[in-house]
Amino acid sequence: MEIADLPICTSYRAKLLAAGYSSLASLSAADPPRLARGTSPARRTAHRAPPRRQTLPLDSPLRPPTPIAAALLACDEIARVGVDLNIEIPEAEDILKVAVCANKFKGADGPSSVLKGSQNAWDMLSDEQSRKHINTGSGDLNNILGGGIHCKEVTEIGGVPGIGKTQLGIQLAINVQIPVECGGLGGKAVYIDTEGSFMVERVYQIAEGCISDILEYFPHYQDKAPSGQEKLKPESFLADIYYFRICSYTEQIAVINYLEKFLGEHKDVRIVIIDSVTFHFRQDFDDMALRTRVLSGLSLKLMKLAKTYNLAVVLLNQVTTKFIEGSFQLTLALGDSWSHSCTNRLILYWNGNLRYAYLDKSPSLPAASAPYAVTGKGVRDATSSNCKRVRVM
Amino acid sequence: MVAGGGRTGAGAGAGAGCFPRRYPLPADEVREKNQDERQGGQFLDGMDLLKDVTENKRFLPTGVQGYPIWIIDALLGGGLRQGQLMEITGQSSSGKTQVCLCSAAHVAARHLGVVVYLDTSNSFSPRRIARMVDVFPISLVNEPKHVRLHRVMSSIICESVFDIFNLFEVLHQLELSLKKKVNNGSSKICLLIIDSISSLLAPIISGKYPQGRSMMLSVAMILKKLADEHNLSVLVTNHMVAGNGAPKPALGESWKTVPHVRLVVSRDRGSNICTATVLKHTLLASDRHCMKFAVPS
Repeated sequence: MEIADLPICTSYRAKLLAAGYSSLASLSAADPPRLARGTSPARRTAHRAPPRRQTLPLDSPLRPPTPIAAALLACDEIARVGVDLNIEIPEAEDILKVAVCANKFKGADGPSSVLKGSQNAWDMLSDEQSRKHINTGSGDLNNILGGGIHCKEVTEIGGVPGIGKTQLGIQLAINVQIPVECGGLGGKAVYIDTEGSFMVERVYQIAEGCISDILEYFPHYQDKAPSGQEKLKPESFLADIYYFRICSYTEQIAVINYLEKFLGEHKDVRIVIIDSVTFHFRQDFDDMALRTRVLSGLSLKLMKLAKTYNLAVVLLNQVTTKFIEGSFQLTLALGDSWSHSCTNRLILYWNGNLRYAYLDKSPSLPAASAPYAVTGKGVRDATSSNCKRVRVM
Repeated sequence: MVAGGGRTGAGAGAGAGCFPRRYPLPADEVREKNQDERQGGQFLDGMDLLKDVTENKRFLPTGVQGYPIWIIDALLGGGLRQGQLMEITGQSSSGKTQVCLCSAAHVAARHLGVVVYLDTSNSFSPRRIARMVDVFPISLVNEPKHVRLHRVMSSIICESVFDIFNLFEVLHQLELSLKKKVNNGSSKICLLIIDSISSLLAPIISGKYPQGRSMMLSVAMILKKLADEHNLSVLVTNHMVAGNGAPKPALGESWKTVPHVRLVVSRDRGSNICTATVLKHTLLASDRHCMKFAVPS
C-alpha cells in the first residue's frame, strides 16, 4: 500500500510524498506532532547536509549572476520551503487515522472483505428469515405486507383524511409492544406527532383491545408468567410510547437529527412513527427546490436509523390532487422526488363502504390490496358488521 | 415486442451483429488485461482497442424476461457491457430495483463474478433474490438447488450507503480491493450496482451552490474510472422528477453525459408489465425503441 492510494486531500498527499514518506510503514512510525512538523528521518538528514545541486555553479563567484540564474534560485527556494509539511496537528492526526484504517483494511482477506462492514446476501437472507414483523392488527393487511411492517425498512402510509392513517399508526405503536412470548417484538415505540391528532384516550382503548386479544389467543399467558400480570396493563403500554409533539418544520428536522442520539440510548425502540411527515412542509415552505433537498436529506437519515438500529420507520402522508393526462387524480403529497424515498408504500382508500389498503411499492412483494376495518378495539380484519362508512348527506 | 421506433427485431439483431460478438459462456477464459501496460503514458491503437473489446468486454445478462418472449438484453445490444456505465431511470415503483436485483442474481448465477450492491433505500431484498434464483431453469447450472442458492447469494455483496461521503469512502475501498485482486487473482468483481445514486445526490445538489454539482461529477469520474480500469460494469438507478409537462430524469443536464446507456422504465399502475425505452446508447442507432417486460417473478 502506497501513500498515493490513501484517501486524503491531494495537497497533503503531495506534501507527504515530498517530505519523504513513501509507504504506510514509514507513516506508522510517525506521531501527529512530528508529522505536522514534517521531519521524517529522511528530511532531517537532508536538512543537515543540503545536497549539491546542478544549479549551484550558476551562482558561484566565477560567473556573474544572470537574471535567469536568480529566477532559478528563487524557484529552488520555493520548492524547498514547499517540502515542509506545514500542517496543523489535528490534520496530521486525521491523516494518521486514515493510514491506520488503510493498514487494517489491508490485513483483511477473502471474498466478503471486498468492502469493510459489508454483508453478503447469504448472511442477509438468514438474518431476514429470522426477523419478526410488526403485526398491523388485521390478518389480511399482514398478508399483503408479507407478515406485517418490516424492521430495517421505511414504510410510507398515505390516504385521504379519515381513512384511518392515525389509527393504524397508533395500532402499530401498541402492537410493537406485544410480548415476545405472544409472537410480538416486545419493543417500544417513538411517536412523532406533527398534527396533534394523537388522542390518548383512543390509545388507551386500542391498548385495551390489544390486551383482550392477547388474552383470547393465549389464555394461559397470565398464569404462566407471574410478571405478566402487571405487564399486560394499558398503562404500561402507554408508558412505553415516547411521544414528541412537533410544531414547525424546524422542530421536525431537529427531532429527526436528535433521534440518532435518542435511539442510541433507547435500544429497545422498534418502531418510529411520524404522523404526518407532510403537515409542516406543506404550508410553510416557499422554496420548493430547498424543500426537496431537505426532505431527501431527512429520508436518508431515516433510512440510516432504520438500518442501524434495526427498527421500522413508518411515515404517514397526506394526499393531494395532481393534474395527470387531462384530469385531476389523487396522489400522495410532497411530490415526485419524495415518492422515491421510502422502501414500501401502502395506500389506504375507500372502495364503496369498505376501507382498503393497496401495496403500491415494495422491493420484495407484488402489488396487492386487502380490506381492513377500524373498530373500537383498533385496526382489525373487515367483517360484514364493522365496515359501515358514515356519509354526510 | 418492439413497440416504438422503427426497428424490427431482426434489425436489432443485425445491429448487434456489427459489434463484437457476445461471450455468454463463463467458461471462456477471459485474458486479463495487464494494467501496467496501459498506465504510464502508453497509448493504444485502434486494433488494440478492438482486440480488448472482443476479448475482455463481455456483456453481462440482465436476465429480465421480455413480454411475451423477448429478453431485455436484446434491447441493450447484449446486456450490461463491461467497462461501461448504465443508468436506469423511472418513476417510483416502476421496476428499477427489480431490474437491479434480477441482474445481480443472473450475473452471480452464471459464474460471471462477484456483484457489489450499494443500497441507499433499504430495498435490497435477499428474499426476492432467493425467489428469483429458485425459479431459474435447473439446466442453467448443473448443481443442486440449495448449493446453487448458497453460491449465488455468497457472491453478492451488499453495503448500505446513506450519504455521499460514505459513498466516496466505499468506492475508494472498492478501488483498493480491486487493485489487490488484480495481483492475487481470486474471484473478480464484475458488476457494481448503486440503487439509487440520485437519492444520495439529491440533498446536495442545488442551483446556488456549485459544490454539490462538483461532487456529483467526481462520483461520475470515479465510477467511470473503476469501470474502465477494472473492467467493471456499473449500473446506477436514477429518479424521475417533475419537469415541464412530462417527468424527466433527475440530476440535470451535466449528469446526462455521464452514462453510456440510459434506460427509462415505466409501469402502469396495477399491472406488472413494464415498458423499457432506450434514451441513449453508445452502440445502437439512436431512435428511441422500447420494449415491454414483465416484472420478473
